[in-house]
Amino acid sequence: MMDVFRWIEQTPLSVFMREDFYAYFVVLIFHAWAMAFLVGGGMAVSLRVMGVAAGARLEKFAGFFPFMWIGAFMAILSGLLLLVGYPAKALTNWVFALKFACLGSAALLVRYMARTYFPIAARNEPLPRSARWIACACFLLWIAGVTAGKMLLHTYKILMVTSP
Amino acid sequence: MMLQPSAPPGWLLDFGQWGVDVGIYDLMNTRWGWPIGESVHFTGLCMLMATVGMFDLRMMGLVRELSLSALHKLVPYGVFGWLLCVASGFLFVAAAPLEYIYNDAWQIKMVLMAIAGVNMVVFYMTTAKRVYALGPDEVVPLTARIIAVVSLSSWLGVITCGRVVTAFRPFWE
Repeated sequence: MMDVFRWIEQTPLSVFMREDFYAYFVVLIFHAWAMAFLVGGGMAVSLRVMGVAAGARLEKFAGFFPFMWIGAFMAILSGLLLLVGYPAKALTNWVFALKFACLGSAALLVRYMARTYFPIAARNEPLPRSARWIACACFLLWIAGVTAGKMLLHTYKILMVTSP
Repeated sequence: MMLQPSAPPGWLLDFGQWGVDVGIYDLMNTRWGWPIGESVHFTGLCMLMATVGMFDLRMMGLVRELSLSALHKLVPYGVFGWLLCVASGFLFVAAAPLEYIYNDAWQIKMVLMAIAGVNMVVFYMTTAKRVYALGPDEVVPLTARIIAVVSLSSWLGVITCGRVVTAFRPFWE
């Protein structure tokens, strides 16, 4: 695995991501914007299913999904560029896997809520009792994903395989 | 922007000493102090985007068929998110004032937050009542759309400046 990290670190793109003054920060900014739209949209859906803003039609929250998709796409793209810069830093840190597990689970729960609860809401029928718990779990998973992401900088053991 | 003197002014050193005296410096420099503060800070920002940001998208007309008066019920959670940001942000600044007060990115961030605040006051004083009276399918007035654009742009600017604060750390002799 270390050989793969070493190879990635020596690619021109990886060197550019580390050594260009603007590249890393520009990508970081896009990553933060993307996460804000993705997590923000997910939290909004979770809050609504939990019963906040009950007057707003739940199924119409699907209007926020395109922004979440754009956020997800930008987050993956910028995340890959950050990963190319320092592959060993992320891929040897279990917190990185935790971040993905939390964000992936939260996204799947939003999908589940959209497929299960949005049609119920569209028929003006009450949501099942479990809906609030699932929404609460989803909300907490978004926070856990964000927290794990912020912890990456403070928990890595290896920055680079090759010397910087 | 506030021009940086060659050496830290007395009031800044006093503020830093106050941070040490009340224990904020020690708290933030424990193993998990700074990481937890950062997590709280970005969680607060995400809550702001989940509520104020989504309200802005609806008011800009990019999301339709949602009642703005009902959606506005999300905003108190955004205020809570903002309070999380302010509290954690204050701890960062009190723990390391020399890194922030004369930092260009941090100063612009504060200006953008002030713009967002003034913009919010303008919204509540001018168009809020008209917006709340709209039905889910009705077109939002242009003034409200402009206010939403200013709000969302300001918060995205705040996120941007927050990310580049480390690149603009002031150099002290």
